[in-house]
Amino acid sequence: MAGVRVGKRIIGADAPVIVGWENIGKVEGGPIKQFVFTWFQPAMLLLAIGFWYYAPNWLAVASTAIAIRLGWTILLLALEWVNPRYESWQLTWKEFATDAFYVALGLTFLRMVDSYIGDGVIIEAVQGAFDWEKFSWFTGLPLLVQAVLISMIFDFGQYWMHRGMHNWYPLWLTHAPHHYITQLNINKGAVGNPVELFLIGLGIGGLFDFLPRAFLLAGAIGMTVSVYQHINVRFNTPRWWRFIFNTVEHHSVHHSQDYEATRSNYSGTWIIWDRMFGTCVDGEAEVLGMEGGRRMHIGETMIFPFREGWRSTRAALARRFGGGAAVPARLEPAE
Amino acid sequence: MQGLKLPFIDNIWRVRGEVPIDPSLTADEAFARIDPLLRTPGTTIVREGGALAYAKHNPAAQDKLATFTRGRMWIERAGAGAVLRFDLFSHALLLCFLAPLLFLGFAQAAILINGWEAASTETSETAAAKKEDEKPKAVKTLHPVDEFLGAPAPDDPKKKKEEKKDEGRHSPDEGYVMAGLFALIYLAGRWLEPFLVRRRLRAFLAGSSTVPAAAA
Repeated sequence: MAGVRVGKRIIGADAPVIVGWENIGKVEGGPIKQFVFTWFQPAMLLLAIGFWYYAPNWLAVASTAIAIRLGWTILLLALEWVNPRYESWQLTWKEFATDAFYVALGLTFLRMVDSYIGDGVIIEAVQGAFDWEKFSWFTGLPLLVQAVLISMIFDFGQYWMHRGMHNWYPLWLTHAPHHYITQLNINKGAVGNPVELFLIGLGIGGLFDFLPRAFLLAGAIGMTVSVYQHINVRFNTPRWWRFIFNTVEHHSVHHSQDYEATRSNYSGTWIIWDRMFGTCVDGEAEVLGMEGGRRMHIGETMIFPFREGWRSTRAALARRFGGGAAVPARLEPAE
Repeated sequence: MQGLKLPFIDNIWRVRGEVPIDPSLTADEAFARIDPLLRTPGTTIVREGGALAYAKHNPAAQDKLATFTRGRMWIERAGAGAVLRFDLFSHALLLCFLAPLLFLGFAQAAILINGWEAASTETSETAAAKKEDEKPKAVKTLHPVDEFLGAPAPDDPKKKKEEKKDEGRHSPDEGYVMAGLFALIYLAGRWLEPFLVRRRLRAFLAGSSTVPAAAA
């Protein structure tokens, strides 16, 4: 495969990747369908912001966000059914059950672990060490400015954590299982080794004493923007939207079987971070995964970082001190 | 699970059934028709006399029989008619059936840990309460732009403290909800997956070149 030059890199030399907005697929169907799947994303963002901006205090709480999230997930699953991006990503019962397992693990086990060693705890520990009052002017800003700041600060952290995962072997080992997914569906964001999900969830937004409503607004931005990165729905995403925000188009490139393509589009919500730091590739891909599309089952996902870490360490020790044992091939990071 | 007799319990993970076939088809012809359905990467197919057995190692997400990792099929003739019988085994259904236990376990763990933590913090609680009283949080105000647009003002942080009940660090509710969800997913799968298998087998056995793609 020839691939396409993007900056200094050749994208799509190992596996098919479509580069450039002019080459990607379009919504097929009548004018109503075209309209719905062009404006769905911006309309839902406005609706979510409007709701969290004006909801009375008794309603603007975390439990409302959870209820909305549940209904939202069901709606998006229905959209995947009605207007799939690729037939080859169609959700099956087994894929749905598998994804649900990871979602459930995140809501139970991971949340329990997080309450001891997560970012909230770390922030509490360091909060006393500095004079955070200096940042209190943040909380006097207009709510939407606060919300955008929270979202962008969190995503900035995610960008570098994610880029780190693709560039440093120990971190890559935790992230690799997520790259074995062979199709995108809305719950695929939860698929991965728990260590990675813990690391990617670390954020510094909580350091600043923003208004609770600003956090809920930031959550609404995340829910109506970054959620689409793993969705199997064909949208005619508006140009301005895909310039600012991460989309499933960007994220499918990131998940493609092409090595160079995976080293792009690291952000979760704000693709402008990728544009600023030179890692953005506009396009889309259908053929996803690692090792030619081998599906990684739940058991292997749970042990993968530890097993590969142990193998690599043993191989490194054998190289360093000899020992004569056959050195197993080291898994190449897809950085 | 050959050799092990579990006549009712094994319905959890085994699916048995039949689809009618054209009686003029020989076993070889019938198996040849369903061969494209079975022959996917990671699948081994063995003919044992009149029966066909298959086993899948880590099937792809879009493998039409991904849920059923092992199975046997054979032809039975009765009078003028004939059927293809199948007996399929599913790891996925079994694990999905067991998944609620895991999440009920997490819910119980949450309750247990809450209990331990409540017991160990009882003694230091009064000191902590005093400490909290020392520095009351300032009441926050909205930016004039937000006031103009009509966003509700933030609550007084002091008020909330009184209403708040200490329910422990963890909540068992998510565990219960997820256990219920997996029970639902299991029931849906136990009905849906055999239905799809029958539909696909019928389509492939009918031998129409267009139907399998639609049913698949």
